[in-house]
This record gives sequence, C-alpha cells and structure tokens, in this order.
Amino acid sequence: MITREEIQNIAILSKLFIDENELDTLTQDMAQIITFADTINTAVEELEDFEDINNLSNVFREDEVLPSYDRSLILKNVDGGENGYFPVKKRV
Amino acid sequence: MEKTKGKIKYLGELLRNKEISCQELTTKYLESINQDNGKLNAYVSVTEQEALDTAKAVDKKIASGEELSPLEGIPMTLKDNISTKDIETTCCSKILQGYVPIYNATVWDLLKSQNAVLLGKTNMDEFAMGSSCETSCFGGANNPHNLAHVAGGSSGGVASAVGGNIAAYGLGSDTGGSIRQPASFCGLVGLKPTYGAVSRYGLIAYASSLDQIGPITSTVEDAALVFDAISKKDPMDSTSQGGAEPTLAKLNQDIKGLKIGVAKEYFEGVRDDVKKALEQSIKTYVSLGAQIVYFDLPVLKYALPVYYILACAEASSNLGRYDSIRYGYRTDENYHSIHEMICKTRSEGFGKEVQRRILLGTYVLSSGYYDAYYKKAQRLRGAVVKAFQNAFQSCDVILTPTVPMTAFEQGFSSKDQIETYQTDICTVPINIAGLPAISIPCGFDSKGLPIGMQLIGNTFCESTILNAAYQFENACANQIYKNVDLGVKL
Repeated sequence: MITREEIQNIAILSKLFIDENELDTLTQDMAQIITFADTINTAVEELEDFEDINNLSNVFREDEVLPSYDRSLILKNVDGGENGYFPVKKRV
Repeated sequence: MEKTKGKIKYLGELLRNKEISCQELTTKYLESINQDNGKLNAYVSVTEQEALDTAKAVDKKIASGEELSPLEGIPMTLKDNISTKDIETTCCSKILQGYVPIYNATVWDLLKSQNAVLLGKTNMDEFAMGSSCETSCFGGANNPHNLAHVAGGSSGGVASAVGGNIAAYGLGSDTGGSIRQPASFCGLVGLKPTYGAVSRYGLIAYASSLDQIGPITSTVEDAALVFDAISKKDPMDSTSQGGAEPTLAKLNQDIKGLKIGVAKEYFEGVRDDVKKALEQSIKTYVSLGAQIVYFDLPVLKYALPVYYILACAEASSNLGRYDSIRYGYRTDENYHSIHEMICKTRSEGFGKEVQRRILLGTYVLSSGYYDAYYKKAQRLRGAVVKAFQNAFQSCDVILTPTVPMTAFEQGFSSKDQIETYQTDICTVPINIAGLPAISIPCGFDSKGLPIGMQLIGNTFCESTILNAAYQFENACANQIYKNVDLGVKL
C-alpha cells in the first residue's frame, strides 16, 4: 500500500507541492487508483515486448538549417522578455 | 433540412445559391452564441473578428463568381487544446491562461486554407483529462438535450456547441474516448481516426502515443467531409502517415455481406436501455444485409488499467514542460529558488485531477515500479493490438456501445474516481490499438438522452466505418436524431 512518504517523494519528482492537509485524502485516492492499476498483474497471458503502434519507424533527414521563429516571437508570451532572455527574479 | 443531408453541404448550398451571405450566416451564429452560451458554457473564447474577417473574404469570392471549396465559409469551432496563432489557447487550465501560440496546429492551417470560419475555442476537461468536461478551469459544458446533464468529455465544449447548434461542426481530440463519448452523450457523430491519419502538430500533448484529432459533427456525411480535409501526411508530425483514402465518395456503398463483429465482453455492465438500443441496431444491420459474427475479446478486461497507466506515464512526461518560465501562469514573487517557483506554479496552476494523473504517471515510471506497471502495461498493449488484429481476420467492422450509459448528471464524476474511469471502458481499447472508430446515435433512453453506438474499423479503414454508419443513419434517421431547441435558426 502506498504511503504518505512515498506520495511526498513522488511529488518532489513531479515538481508539485502537496499541502499537508490534503496528503491523507490524496494517499487514499492514489491507493485506490493503484489497486485498480494492479489488475494488470493478474494477467496470465503470454506476453511479448511491445515497441510501437502501427509499425512506425524513425524518419531521418539531412541536418539542414531551416528558417525558424524570430526571437521576438518566441519571447512574446513573456511580454517580450528582457534583453532577449526569459526573465526570472534573482533569488540567490 | 433533411435529417441525413449533411449540415455542411446544406449550409454550403445556401452560400453558393446566394440565399444567405457568409457574413449574415456568421452573424447568426455569433448571435446564437451570445444568446445560448450562457446556458451551454460551450465556448471559452469567441473569435468574432477572425470569423467576420474570414466571412467577408468568402463573400468577396462568391461575388466574383469563384468556386467555393466544401468547408469554405462554414462556421465552426476548435477544442481549446488545438493551437491557433494569435488566439489564446488554454487547454482550460489555469497554468496556460494568457498563453497565445505563435503558430497554428496543422489541422487548423488545413481548414483555414479553406476559409473555415472560426467562431471560437471550446471548453474541455483540463488538459483533456476527464470524461465530463467538469475538470475545466472554466466549469463544465452542459448537454444541449438536458442542461442538468454533462456534455461529456473531454471534448465536451465542441459537442455542446455542435449539439446546441452554435457551431456547424468542430474538431476535438481523442486520447481515450474524448471525441466519441461527448458525441454519444450529445446525439452527434464523432470520429476518432487511425493513429497517424491526422497530424497532431500543434495539439497540446496529453498522451502522445494515444492522442488523435478528429471531427464532431451533426451527420456522418459531415464527418467524412471534415476528415478528408484534415487527413494529410505532415512532415511536422513524425507519427503522421496521412494515407487514409478519401471517404466522402465511398459513402454510398452497399453493405450486403459486410461482416460485423460483436464481442460479448463489450456488453457486460452496460445499462439495459443502452443494450436494448444496441440490439435494435444489430437488427437494423441484419435487415440491411450485414452478417453478424460473434467473437471473444477476453483481453478487454485489462484495457482500462493499461490505458490509465500508459496515459498517465506519458502525461507526467509531457506536462513536465510547464515550468512558467517561457509562457503561461507564474506564481507570485514569494519564492526563494527556481525550484520553488516551478513547484508553486505547478501546484497552483494544475487542477487536482491533472496533479493526480501526473503523480500516478511518475509513480509507474519510478525505479522499482517501472517493470510491474509501465512495462507490463506496454506488453499488455501488445496483446490488445493482437486481439483486434485477430478479430479483423473474421470481420470488417466491430459494433459496440460507445459508453455503457447515457450522459450523467453534473457532479457524478467527482463522487467516485474509479467508477468514472470505468465509463471509458468501450472507447479506450481503440486508442490502445491505434484503430479508427466512430460514434453514431442509435436511440434515446427513458429520459430522452441520446445513446451512442461505436463502429470500430481496422487501421486506415475510415471509409468502411463511415459507410457502415452512413447506411445505418439513412435507415433510421428519424429514430436517432432529435433537434434541440437552441442555436441558429435559419
């Protein structure tokens, strides 16, 4: 059964903060979902490795430089950025 | 308007015959959105200027006697996870509020090149994670057949808009049933194409090995028309194969001798009125000359957990990109490190269901659990693929319910998570196997809510399922379609 500590550990890996008040409910919810996921471990069928769907394979091409987006466009969603960079506040 | 005559063709004829101008038609739709969107909550943004500008260009073409392409001038909508240049695209998540893409999704480029009139972006479960549209940060979309019921999910907004006649058609995305289930709940046609038939470039990713874009429409003919317009090979999506043959021209094929597969596992736990409607549909197909082939699909019992393991694993990776640095929501300035800024942003920006799925995905991919969950689920995925391949040795099409029930009441999905997941049992195996499937209405329950039937085809056999659906629609249009008292009156 998944524990509070495991949830906290997974949350760190997932870059999420879990509020202490929500931890018990979340642990219960996750335990229920994992029990449900465990159904697959009752499968007795002989199974082979599965690679991909519809027999897709990698498509390679020459590494040619093609036109890309202008820097000002890329920075549009951070109000134009600062001196051509994505701004974050100094916190060190 | 005749029931089975496609709405798109019908509106196109009005434009070509100059019975209505494109600007008048667009204005009527915009007025209807204004009037009915408060009840339906289908649209999360309305793109009035974009719509009117396109309509003006179409009117100019009509005036100069130029030929119109089939989708030209037809007012439509896109689910809010399909990127639209210079138009906010939020995935109905707080974390993407204010995000304005700098490029178009390929599907939108294809439709825009035909002068499709975009009315706005429609509501969805946050990041397409849900079956009721209720995880949207804008609140859920309502069912035009009964506003106290959900429109379904995750493409609930598209279904609500098309069902409520405040869009002629729309594009949704389907990772585990998100086109077919809302289409079923709202009495519409929803097509989930073969994995690779439609480019996903510009579709904000949920689970990349399962996601597909497809149409939600009022009739089968409309679905064929839209599918043909968006099914193209695209160098920007390495999984795109295009290649599906044009479907519209093949809609009038006789289905005498068509082998329709029916698996008993698909009818377990299905509500009585849904089962009854499906049995009646099977009889209709028999009367049209189809042969019914019964077969077993025991692997179906693993499909749902396999889906949730794989989809969440892929989501935990895909959603790792939301760090607030390059776009979207960022927490206030109360943080002491970049790590803290990212964690705070993600915890405040993602809703509870999205966080739960990221956590589950991280768990099944983590060291110690990878083999037991992710690897095992991948191998079972192979077994599901094989089971369908075997089934298609003896039949051309597989018939199932789309959902074991009809549209649930608002609030149902917040009560029991697993029970809600289980409503996806009929649709998820199709994404796991990468197959095409269509949902088409096949009757109503005692409350007057639509029931959906799902027809599954072999890979790239969209024309087979569309034709089978079209023949069914022609045979019983009056029993499967009911107009709702909302939307555009022409």
